Amino acid sequence: MLSGSTPLETLVPDAPEIRAFDIEPVALPDVELLQWSFEVAAGEVTELYPPALHPTLPPMAMIVAWSAPDSPWGAFDLAQVRLSCRSGARPRGFLVGAVIDNAAAGGALAEHWGLRARVGRVAVERYYDAARVEVALDGDTILAVRGDDPDPLQPNDIQLFAAMHAARTPAGLRLVQFDPTWELTRAERYAPVLEAFDAEGWGQPRLAPNYPVVAFGGRANGTLPRLRFATRPDVNAFEGAETLG
Amino acid sequence: MKFGIFYELSVPRPFGGGIEKTVYDNALEQIRVADEVGFDTVWAVEHHFLEEYSHCSAPELFLTAAAMCTSRIRVGHGAVVCVPEMNHPIRVAERAAVLDILSGGRLEFGTARSSTWTELAGFEADPDTTKKTWDEFVRTIPGMWMEERFSHDGVCFSMPERAVLPKPVQAPHPPMWVTVTSPGTELDAAERGLGSLGVATASFEEQERRLTEYRRRIRGCDPVGGAVNDQVATLNFLYCDQDIDEAARLGVPMLGAFNVANAHLLFTREAYPTRAYGLLANLAPGRRGRRAKEDNPGARAGIPEGMAIGDPHHLVGVMKEWESLGVDQVNFLLNAMEMIPQDKVLASLRLFAAEVMPQFRREAA
Repeated sequence: MLSGSTPLETLVPDAPEIRAFDIEPVALPDVELLQWSFEVAAGEVTELYPPALHPTLPPMAMIVAWSAPDSPWGAFDLAQVRLSCRSGARPRGFLVGAVIDNAAAGGALAEHWGLRARVGRVAVERYYDAARVEVALDGDTILAVRGDDPDPLQPNDIQLFAAMHAARTPAGLRLVQFDPTWELTRAERYAPVLEAFDAEGWGQPRLAPNYPVVAFGGRANGTLPRLRFATRPDVNAFEGAETLG
Repeated sequence: MKFGIFYELSVPRPFGGGIEKTVYDNALEQIRVADEVGFDTVWAVEHHFLEEYSHCSAPELFLTAAAMCTSRIRVGHGAVVCVPEMNHPIRVAERAAVLDILSGGRLEFGTARSSTWTELAGFEADPDTTKKTWDEFVRTIPGMWMEERFSHDGVCFSMPERAVLPKPVQAPHPPMWVTVTSPGTELDAAERGLGSLGVATASFEEQERRLTEYRRRIRGCDPVGGAVNDQVATLNFLYCDQDIDEAARLGVPMLGAFNVANAHLLFTREAYPTRAYGLLANLAPGRRGRRAKEDNPGARAGIPEGMAIGDPHHLVGVMKEWESLGVDQVNFLLNAMEMIPQDKVLASLRLFAAEVMPQFRREAA
């Protein structure tokens, strides 16, 4: 099977530091959650992953947006770009980059869950006939994505992948597994439209979404749990998985 | 009980250097041996784009080659993908009839709808509709075979009256099956009078429960074809050696490699939320958890319960357990990623045929 070929240090030179894994779970009520998926060119795909992870075939860029009206750090909107992969046999999303509109929330997400996000403008909007996310850094739009024609789904029709975040831990550089729980109270599927995507702006110039897969979303009560698992970035998860705490 | 062999035709990277030809050549040699030693059926999947996991995209050609180099073993589509973007139903009926003729009436006709995003999106097929199109295929193909001229006004295809030619040798037509990956598909099979061709395993208890319900429902089925195929087949792995530890040393890693490759497929449900695809029951050991490890030589050797890996004595016990559930046929994957050398695969086939199969043939006779 294919494995990533770029050292994690090269892919994520700015991995945040997690000093301890003792945070209590944090509730995020009434989050508007949206996700878009686009296949990406698979030519040099292994270069986009560290050796611990295996690209899915086809690989997908997953754009994940949360609009959280209430959190310990105040309301925030967050947009992430992840790459679909496997850690061991499990489906995961490898965090490429993120932007958040609340610096305090961004700091907490990095410090406790390794979710590194730059501060910028994030607009998560849902209308009766569409959903849209636009992200800008320093005034430049790096993402505009739209979902049209919502089609209602059952909440359990939706499967969300856990994410793998690069983080500097007391044991060294690791991929930590970030697996929020979401209780969806509403779900729908959209036709995905990518209006703008600046790969360089997301920190991975070789990332080229080229085929729309799907968009979906819903309203959810979320919980950010304590991190429980990590894996060494240089070997596959069958060899490198570790329990935290 | 019947025994079959089953091909995904997995190919390890790198794909150059003739490895694909080696995989195909080895498979055909295994089929010739299986035919000689008494296996009942050879099955081949239809998959597209599934790098490493399966390079078996033209099973009708592979099975024709298998039929041409054998005289007795039945040849089975395990299965034709009944999605119109991949296969037009008229072409499916035509090709299957030709294969039935060329094989001298040895065709088993399995149907499926594909379970990966990789395949469905590759043909730009809509995951929401594959169950409906599969249903339309299985309800019309028997008519194409049985009726002199056939017409259809449907949803996924329509056709004016035409003679779909040639007609299959077997009357009224080859036995029809459905591959069962998602729990519940076996009930779709039963309601239509189709055989349940298991391509994923579940616990013994779960298999028993599904089998009981399948048998109950097929008794009152509304058959889509000219005959009811009341058979249940399950999928397993085979590596047989006189030394159970040696069998485990070679067979268990094969099982692991296959399961990892399977787990790495991008299943439709993972990429695309839809009610048309439920949770998958991927290949997994059939566990009952009834026997303590110390009483089970297979478990002591690290062989998952229910898997046909071990010495002949152990495999007789394993097959008896499957037989006791009411399974009619067990189909075996013989290798994965060419991990087991070809000479050992052939020796395993011969040993199983010589020392395990007679235990079941004798009782049947």
